[in-house]
Amino acid sequence: MNERYSDTPDGALLQASELTHQVVVEQHTLTILQGVNLEIKAGESVAIVGRSGSGKTTLLGLLAGLDVPSEGTVILAGSELTRLSEDERATLRSRYVGFVFQSFQLLPALTALENVQLPLELRGDKDAEKRARQLLERVGLGDRLSHRPRQLSGGEQQRVAIARAFASDPRILFADEPTGNLDTETGAEIVELLMTLNREEGTTLVLVTHDTQLAARCSRQLRMEAGRLGAVPVEVSA
Amino acid sequence: MKFLHLLLWLGRRDWALREVRVTLLAVLVAVATVATIGLFADQLQRSVMASGSQFLAADRQLRGSQPMAEDWLKDSATLGLRHAAMVRFSSMLFADQHLQLASVKAVGSAYPLAGQVTVRDTPSGPVRRLAHGPAPGKLWVDARLLPLLHINVGDSVQVGQASFKVAAILVQEPDAGLSMLGLAPRVLMNLDDVAATGVIQPGSRVAYVDFFSGSDPQLSRFHDWLKTRLRPDQRWIGVKEGRPAVSRTIDRAERFLMLGGSLAVLMALVAIAVASRQYAIRQLDTVALLKTFGLTQARINRLYLGRLASWTLIGTGGGLLLALPLWFALAQLAKRWITTPLAWSLNPVALWPAAVTAVVALFAFALPPIVRLRKVPAMRVLRSLPGVDLVGIVPDVTLALLAMVALIALYARNLWLVAALLGGLAALLLLLVLIGWGLANLLSRVGQGGGTWRLALIGMRRHRRALLSQVAVVGLTMMLVGTLYLVRTSLLQSWQRQLPAEAPNEFLVNIAPDAVPQVRRFLDQNNLSASHLYPMVRGRLTEINGKPVRQVVSDANEVEALNRELNLTWMEKLPADNKLVEGRWWRTGITDEVSVEQRLAEKLGLHPGDRVTFVIGAQQLTATVASIRSVDWESMRPNFYVAFPPGALADYPATWITSFYLPHAQRLLLDRFNREFPTITVLDIAHLINRIHDIVGQITQAVEALLVMILAAALLVVIAVLGATLPERQREGALLRTLGARRATLVRSTLLEFALIGAMAGLAGVAAAEGAVWLLQYRLFSGTFEWHLGLWLVLPVLSALLMAVVGRLQLKPVLTVSPMLLLRQLE
Repeated sequence: MNERYSDTPDGALLQASELTHQVVVEQHTLTILQGVNLEIKAGESVAIVGRSGSGKTTLLGLLAGLDVPSEGTVILAGSELTRLSEDERATLRSRYVGFVFQSFQLLPALTALENVQLPLELRGDKDAEKRARQLLERVGLGDRLSHRPRQLSGGEQQRVAIARAFASDPRILFADEPTGNLDTETGAEIVELLMTLNREEGTTLVLVTHDTQLAARCSRQLRMEAGRLGAVPVEVSA
Repeated sequence: MKFLHLLLWLGRRDWALREVRVTLLAVLVAVATVATIGLFADQLQRSVMASGSQFLAADRQLRGSQPMAEDWLKDSATLGLRHAAMVRFSSMLFADQHLQLASVKAVGSAYPLAGQVTVRDTPSGPVRRLAHGPAPGKLWVDARLLPLLHINVGDSVQVGQASFKVAAILVQEPDAGLSMLGLAPRVLMNLDDVAATGVIQPGSRVAYVDFFSGSDPQLSRFHDWLKTRLRPDQRWIGVKEGRPAVSRTIDRAERFLMLGGSLAVLMALVAIAVASRQYAIRQLDTVALLKTFGLTQARINRLYLGRLASWTLIGTGGGLLLALPLWFALAQLAKRWITTPLAWSLNPVALWPAAVTAVVALFAFALPPIVRLRKVPAMRVLRSLPGVDLVGIVPDVTLALLAMVALIALYARNLWLVAALLGGLAALLLLLVLIGWGLANLLSRVGQGGGTWRLALIGMRRHRRALLSQVAVVGLTMMLVGTLYLVRTSLLQSWQRQLPAEAPNEFLVNIAPDAVPQVRRFLDQNNLSASHLYPMVRGRLTEINGKPVRQVVSDANEVEALNRELNLTWMEKLPADNKLVEGRWWRTGITDEVSVEQRLAEKLGLHPGDRVTFVIGAQQLTATVASIRSVDWESMRPNFYVAFPPGALADYPATWITSFYLPHAQRLLLDRFNREFPTITVLDIAHLINRIHDIVGQITQAVEALLVMILAAALLVVIAVLGATLPERQREGALLRTLGARRATLVRSTLLEFALIGAMAGLAGVAAAEGAVWLLQYRLFSGTFEWHLGLWLVLPVLSALLMAVVGRLQLKPVLTVSPMLLLRQLE
């Protein structure tokens, strides 16, 4: 199994070629992505920037295998996602992928600790609670373990979500507008946290954002424009 | 193990969800109700059977005109049945120069297997209850025999060739019954003495009764074995055959309990359906999230199925545990009313419908939306997608309806019940369509502004999709409550009609024609209101339309009326408790006509115009069937299978019969009556009447308790349904407050909005209940239907009030918490 999910020979953890995605809305075909090519090496941090509706989030979903493109291929950790069934993609995600969302996606009925514990419990981790506790301490929420999401501020909720994302030791972390629902200052803290953890854990980071501050912290930036992808001019990223 | 651990972990967290609690509570209520009713009905059945056994002196009797085969006794003993024997015959009793025909029962040493023999040592002495018959050489005799034979207790009496000592006065033996056959004074003797009397000779008319007692399985195994071996003269008698009046009362009560149980289950099902759908909707995001964690569809399915299974287990276990104290309480309540000890034993058979209920309820009502959850696209975590359609209307409703019908059918084992409830549901649906249409029209005309009415109507318009489902569910609840209430009321009324406080409790039988005026005078003088005095002529039905009756009726042995002489009477007018079903009443002057009781006519295939021939004594009498009558056998008044017009039986020897109510305080009159009219048989059925009163009282209490349980289930449904829009309503309330709405306005408009929903639901519910009750009354409880105008007023008002209260409670956090905090909490 492990051999099957190995990196591509040229060292890319994630590779997309000629990705095109279309949806049918009221009998009209809408092209959301067109001929997107992309390669991300292990350990890289890549920001995909662009205006609302440019197709960033769709691209993220396709790269993470949450959806399948109309055309083109995605190879994640050596497996061609486009040729896998939904369940096979799910299994792949469980091994390699973590997520951070704009709207946090914490389960309201669970405490902070339980939210982080959930993915660990699902994989049958014996030390689930201990590990979740450690992670929450690392994101600075050691004293908020038994709070429910609604009792936490937005920044705190996103910290919980980040702790949860790292709980399953992902090789690649996808983040969708992680600071989109936060004020500038809190956003900066979250960016700091994300970057630190990313570095410490040796994770590959792919994030979608229109937060230039956040994008600037990444090793590489890509710009989506009307469904097409291009590199951001060097002067902006410098 | 890991999966179990995970389920436990998730289960503990699920408990925080309101929908899960409501679902579990609904399963709990359904299981508890079904189990309680099952246990109680089972206990009722066995208590009644046990006390019924006291009327038979055993659990079963085998009656025949020849002795039972020897080897049958061996077989019954092998099966573990207890046995007692009795021989009944008529014989002359002699004391000095006096003689009197008596009906003699010679009983074996094991008699009676159930119940007690009541005797007195002197005519006015206290009664003693004994669990045995007389010893050899002793006689226990009817009080009437003392004056007739001019003897006292302690004197000697001759039966056939043997002499006996009168040891006691026989007041009542358990199997005395209401038989009009043994009208001669009764005598109890020991079976061992029969041979010495030499009374029984070949060709003597003798009845052999074998008593059997044992457990139900033992009895039914013996009966199965026996069935094919019974001779034509032999009959196997159980409590139901022995006591039709009691068994009919019980039957009705059981049907009512079953109806109540079915309704409670229906309501719980609605709650489960609503709550589990809410649960599924809540889980949409969770499932999408789980998919990003890398869970496969199969695994997601397993997780949710595992939860359903655990809910089933918890619901069933908890429900059964809850049922035990409820049953105990119900039985305690009933205990005050009944004299016989309750049969306390937990019958597992009575519990299995409860377990089935939980499984069916959860898997038919909660499973479909939950199973569809696995189809939630993972992309949902990134952007809100149009949700998966969690309700496939056609398959889900079909499945739910099928499950519902199956459950009720399983539970009440009555197709009419199912049909009536479905009929009510159909009526409800139709009304809801009308209401929905009317509402859409009304709400589209609501203008702008901020008055209470406007706010309420705007509130309704905003929630119009949820509104109709709320009206539907609350309406359904009201329909079920209304149905149950109406059926309960009519049931109680019919029992009260059947057994008014002064129901006749004494029968006078064997009144000679010349004694009729004296008996009338005696009753009048003592202010005893007797029913009509009816003449009685004994005759046997021999031919129908000129053909021997045994050729015409295929299962003649099964028709009891053909195996004995019938009591024929004549009457001028149709008695008040009889009804003409077919044909017409007598035309004046014609005497060769006859009126036949409905059920007998059905068994014999008789219709107006058929010719029937009776043998009375040595003479034949043929008459044309003029009418078929229904008879209220429970009325405790003399009733007859066959009646003739006045004059038709004038040439035949008749005795007269009547019944009257004797207040307890006047019981001493019976002694005077016996002295004045020694030849007249007094049948005291006070104990039977009391028994039926006991049962009715017991069941009434149970019915009331049941109603309370159903109301609890109903409340649960309402809460479950209203909970669906709770967060939305609270957010709106907070918004309105932020925008400056006054507290009082908010309260008033909410009250009004909910009251309107309640009133509409109540109206729809009461209409549907009338529909269901109409069907139920017509087929199940054989009553007549009438409109219940009071309920049309009460139920909508009640429902409006209830909803207003629930609405007010929901608004509470909106009013007490600062709008900002509330809005944040609800984010």
